[in-house]
Amino acid sequence: MKWLELLTVGGATLVSAVTVVVLYSLGVRLTAIAGDQRTTAPGWLRSLAYTCFAVCSLAVLFGLYLIIPYFSG
Amino acid sequence: MVALVIALALFFDFTNGFHDTANAMATPIATGAIKPKTAVTLAAILNLVGAFLSTEVAKTVSGGIIREGSDGVQITPDIIFAGLMGAILWNMITWLKGLPSSSSHALFGGLIGAAIAGIGFNSVNLETLLQKVILPAVFAPLIAGIVAYVCTRLAYALTSRHDPETGSKLTQKRGGFRTGQIFTSSLVALAHGTNDAQKTMGIITLVLIAAGSQRPGSGPQIWVIASCALAIAVGTYAGGWRIIRTMGAGLTEVKPAQGFAAETSTASAILASSHLGFALSTTQVASGSVIGSGMGRKGTSVRWGMVGKIALGWLFTLPAAGIVGALTALLVKTGVVGVVIAAVAGTGAVLYMFLVSRKSQVGHHNAVEVEEAGQAVRFAKKKALARARAKANESKDTQR
Repeated sequence: MKWLELLTVGGATLVSAVTVVVLYSLGVRLTAIAGDQRTTAPGWLRSLAYTCFAVCSLAVLFGLYLIIPYFSG
Repeated sequence: MVALVIALALFFDFTNGFHDTANAMATPIATGAIKPKTAVTLAAILNLVGAFLSTEVAKTVSGGIIREGSDGVQITPDIIFAGLMGAILWNMITWLKGLPSSSSHALFGGLIGAAIAGIGFNSVNLETLLQKVILPAVFAPLIAGIVAYVCTRLAYALTSRHDPETGSKLTQKRGGFRTGQIFTSSLVALAHGTNDAQKTMGIITLVLIAAGSQRPGSGPQIWVIASCALAIAVGTYAGGWRIIRTMGAGLTEVKPAQGFAAETSTASAILASSHLGFALSTTQVASGSVIGSGMGRKGTSVRWGMVGKIALGWLFTLPAAGIVGALTALLVKTGVVGVVIAAVAGTGAVLYMFLVSRKSQVGHHNAVEVEEAGQAVRFAKKKALARARAKANESKDTQR
């Protein structure tokens, strides 16, 4: 029985999903803070939010890399 | 017989497409991230593209569940015909009931039943069956559910905003998750195209090889690739609205952040499973994610009755498809007349189920959206529903 593989799959799923969700949530939150009208948020908050989204899009690209057999062989 | 099997395989591909649209597109439709029609079009295109991307054919039809190959039994077109019949009928029944269930497990079930009836009990490799079908069926929803639960919790914890002085809730502004949903669900749809269209290509190619019209070991011919890609894309576009409704609204109410968490878990689980050597069913992963995310968000409940129905459906997938496969195999054994009877009976059953689905669609036409999940919703109504829900979400977002 391939218990080790099962564990790897479960672990990899958890790590990758949590990473993407945390980053994206941070992005959403930072955008929200940066968009607040009442407080004057520093400008780097918005760029930090965009960085979060950018890393997420890298994750999507990595997903594409895995899906398309041409790249992953 | 070969032509019949190819036609049946393509139809199976079609049912596979419309059965599995929900896996990728139910949650974005439910949260209003993508309009229903746009969503199925997007999924259809991605499935089409995915089918062309991956054309490497498996060496065996059943992936080792049936002892195939030189030292084992020979899978004849007859067996494949019977197996496909079982799989298609089971797919149609579960679609009619609005239950998400794994198409590949239905195919395995049909093939196993056909092999037992056609060849004998020793043709089935029980250990592989346990490892490839039964264990994944338990662990796929479990893994996806836990991951989706954790992700949903995190997503909500990270984006909940309170006023530092008064402690009252600020506007949460979680609408940004909708944009993310488009990408995650697209990944799921593309992955589906690369995986599932390939299965049908493999079946058709193996049948062609068995019939002697193609060299052994050669890849699928271009018309096989094109027709399989087209069949799955058309199936996806047709959209199994009943299943979409179950996944998007029947299991739990889905909100953008929650939907994003569920889809990310689905996409991660599918990609991890297909690259780390423990195959999980897309349908089971997606259902598990939706349930897990429903448990993770406060103020929502999971409809466990629906979950029970789906679990029951999974339990019956192998035996039910197997029985149909076995009966068909017995009929086919009797000769040409048997094949004709099986083909006519199968077509009749499919037509009957289609007619029943039409009837209930018209029957529920007057009923409003409050009706329980799993029932047919007409396209226009679904659209309006999603729009209304999107509006409600927006107003809730601003209220908070």
